[in-house]
Amino acid sequence: MATVMKTTRDVKGVGLSIPRPDGPEKVTGKVQYVADIQPKGLLHAKLLRSPHAHARIKRIDTSRAKALAGVRAVLTAADMPYLKKKAPTRAHAVLAIDRVVFAGQPVAAVAADEAAIAEEALDLIEVEYEVLVAAVDPLESMKPGAPPVAEAGTEADTSEAQAHGSVAGVAAVAKPAKAVNISQQAKLARGDVAKGLAESDVVIEKTYRIPMVHQGYLEPHAVLAQWDTIGQLTLWASTQGSFNTRSEVADVLEIAENRIKVIPVECGGGFGGKIRALCEPVTAELARVTGRPVRYVMTRREELQAGMPAPQVIIKLKTGVKRDGTLMALDGEIVIESGAFSGAVLAVGAVFLASLYKWPAFEVRGFEVLTHKPSIAAYRAPVAPHTIYAIDSHMDQIADAIGQDPVAFRLGRVQREGDAMANNQPWASNAAYEVLERLAQHPSWKKRDEWKKSAPAGKLRGTGLSLGGWLGGLQPTGATVRLNPDGSLSVLTGQVDIAGTNIALAQIAATAYGIDVDKVKITTGDTDVAPMTGLSAGSKTVYTVGAAVLQAAEDARSQTLEIAAKELEAAVQDLEIEDGKVVVRGVPDKGVTLASIGKKGNLYMSKVPPVLGVANPAFTQQAPAFAGQLARIEVDPDTGEVTLHEFVVVQDVGKAINPLACEGQMQGGAVQSLGIALTEGLMYDDKGRLMNPSLLDYRKLTAADLPNIECIIVEKPSPAGPFGARGVGEPPIVPAPAAIANAIEDATGLRLTELPMTPERIALGIANT
Amino acid sequence: MAKQLLSFTVNGERIETLVQPYLTLLDALREDLGLTGPKEGCGTGDCGACSVHLDGQLVASCLVLAMQARGRSVTTIEGLARGGVLIPVQEAFVRHGVPQCGFCIPGVLMSAAALLAENSKPTEDDIRYAIAGNLCRCTGYTKMIEAIAEVAGTGAASATGAASAKG
Repeated sequence: MATVMKTTRDVKGVGLSIPRPDGPEKVTGKVQYVADIQPKGLLHAKLLRSPHAHARIKRIDTSRAKALAGVRAVLTAADMPYLKKKAPTRAHAVLAIDRVVFAGQPVAAVAADEAAIAEEALDLIEVEYEVLVAAVDPLESMKPGAPPVAEAGTEADTSEAQAHGSVAGVAAVAKPAKAVNISQQAKLARGDVAKGLAESDVVIEKTYRIPMVHQGYLEPHAVLAQWDTIGQLTLWASTQGSFNTRSEVADVLEIAENRIKVIPVECGGGFGGKIRALCEPVTAELARVTGRPVRYVMTRREELQAGMPAPQVIIKLKTGVKRDGTLMALDGEIVIESGAFSGAVLAVGAVFLASLYKWPAFEVRGFEVLTHKPSIAAYRAPVAPHTIYAIDSHMDQIADAIGQDPVAFRLGRVQREGDAMANNQPWASNAAYEVLERLAQHPSWKKRDEWKKSAPAGKLRGTGLSLGGWLGGLQPTGATVRLNPDGSLSVLTGQVDIAGTNIALAQIAATAYGIDVDKVKITTGDTDVAPMTGLSAGSKTVYTVGAAVLQAAEDARSQTLEIAAKELEAAVQDLEIEDGKVVVRGVPDKGVTLASIGKKGNLYMSKVPPVLGVANPAFTQQAPAFAGQLARIEVDPDTGEVTLHEFVVVQDVGKAINPLACEGQMQGGAVQSLGIALTEGLMYDDKGRLMNPSLLDYRKLTAADLPNIECIIVEKPSPAGPFGARGVGEPPIVPAPAAIANAIEDATGLRLTELPMTPERIALGIANT
Repeated sequence: MAKQLLSFTVNGERIETLVQPYLTLLDALREDLGLTGPKEGCGTGDCGACSVHLDGQLVASCLVLAMQARGRSVTTIEGLARGGVLIPVQEAFVRHGVPQCGFCIPGVLMSAAALLAENSKPTEDDIRYAIAGNLCRCTGYTKMIEAIAEVAGTGAASATGAASAKG
């Protein structure tokens, strides 16, 4: 499947399946994560968290905790006078001031010589709460009269949406005066929906519900903080973006950004959950008051109770079509439960619902609603799996109702490049159509009738597919490329490699400069030394940081050629880089080695400047990327158990810079998507307390639950990406919930509109139909 | 609480150290002996990131007290590659591009090594069940299964990654 691209210069670079260079370190356990770093004098931090979802803090007494031997500091909000009651984000709500707004919210912090002592100290802190009524269900919380979550006058937080995949042209709507927990509201509309529905032959209305899920990165949030003697802070952080972390911490602690150095330590998974700062400010404050390095590592229970999960999303969808399949109108309402703080990517969901297929008339109303639960963050293509679950479940039901083939029905109605999205922006070049077409050619789709008939006695078999994608994020970013005195290249960015992007960047630099990839070293610098670099998020690392590296390598190449041109007394346009030498085209004997050019850049009294390629692009053109997924399943109608027999991912990556790494993203994303479909969901009781705060009760998929994931890479080059590349990380998490729901209906006739599609829901559903 | 003397063998080396009686084997390895290869992903035995071998048996070291290892032999991920030479399953993981974030990898490899020591010709199902106690959130497990099957000689003729990595 992997293809080897021959460049004109026959360079080992773009298009090769090269394993990432940190593999040997990772298989021997030598890679260091934050929790593995042990500086001298290290203190361990623990946080006391609220057991109540909503309560007033009447009194905190830390005296007994402070008196415990080995305890070095105990902090409450009273020790941090710069904390504000109208905290706009979770990072700003370092410790609760006088009210807790979700179960698990930090109330006090302890630093001690040992983790066990810190934990013991938590038990000695006395907090008196006055428990208040909690807003737990978002549909109730958005009504007037619900218990308020945020302090009156707190601003909505839209920074996540901007960083991740901005969507222009969505009108914000003022909220009704008394609905205190509606923090954002937007509306998209075109045409006459009422008329369209009235003239339709088939109207289908369903409400889809997707619970909060946790990103499940295996390394819990962790940070190590240390101050030097002149008041500068160093943070070793597990983050998806060191510059963003620096900005947030500087803002919360009210110190200058250049007094903070964030060192991005190897990140044990993030998937969107490690974009925003979470425990960095409190750890930094503990380090400041103790004058010692302080490390804080969340437990898994804390992660599940008080991490930043993906939101619960409730989508009410009503569509009308003519008997011949003509789309008439779509009416949708999206409620995104954001937890205790604002920050959902509201516009993306609204746009996706009405933009994938050609609805002549539509109205989509979006609401971000606050509740007394942990506030949410991104999770790989935020809100897209939810939106596609609704629309692509619906498309199957419509096709079935009018007796059309589900693929042909979609292909005839999917929007193409230039078509107007729901926000009236034109769709950029994408391969939604081609991906769906390719998926429909798969033998398992063509033979779906045979599969259905092959079910053994007592079992039911079905096939389902779905199409989903991501618009692609943008963020300005920088990179430098240096030529070393031995002719090798050093590339510097600040991007955190959580997905294998460093090897892809090396491949891009190699091909752009004209040198083999094994001569290229990529370094992720800290915020003191690296050029400003965007987040590793939004499927934009290769698309944007890769573009910066490409331009910096081209800059370094032209500097190299100019130096060589003088030495060789030749024109720059006649020169080539081949086998580590700059040669005159057609005269392979006449050349100068890259090593000699590099050496002269670092020679005493030399007049040759050192080669330093620099690029710092900003971007305007997104590159939407689509994935289609197909599931072949077997259902036991008595137990409701679903067995996955085959799962196929077809994905447009634009250009596979490293096909091996692309497959890794496609397979990993698919399994996360399947988890949302089948097993995952944070469950809360009516007091807003989490009922499944362990990985035993919150079920992630294991190797025994799955087949091997088949990958089919489609390459439709993006106009602006490096070598035509598009983002790869997010599209594969989108389609599975709809694909599995469609397969379950194919097998059993049961349509499930609530995730996860557990055996219990399936068995009960079948029994009740 | 008074510390107790723990003497045991870790990665072939005799070790004597004083530990708190409530300390887990995982914490003793990580905090006292500096062997940070085993990871804490959950602390409740559900994720497998802390897996080590105790007298050759696969255990979740977060569920074992350090003192339970007294007089016994522990192998961690640091002890798999002796003399800096990767064992075949480690080498196959690298070549197949298995590690992404890498946090689960030490635990998965301990499960894979335990399987291969017990069953040199595992089927795909054997492999799936052998690593079912290890959660991985990046890879979707496919490349892990292919890499382990290749080492066992029971894999498909050519895994995509392996074939093209040589290209």
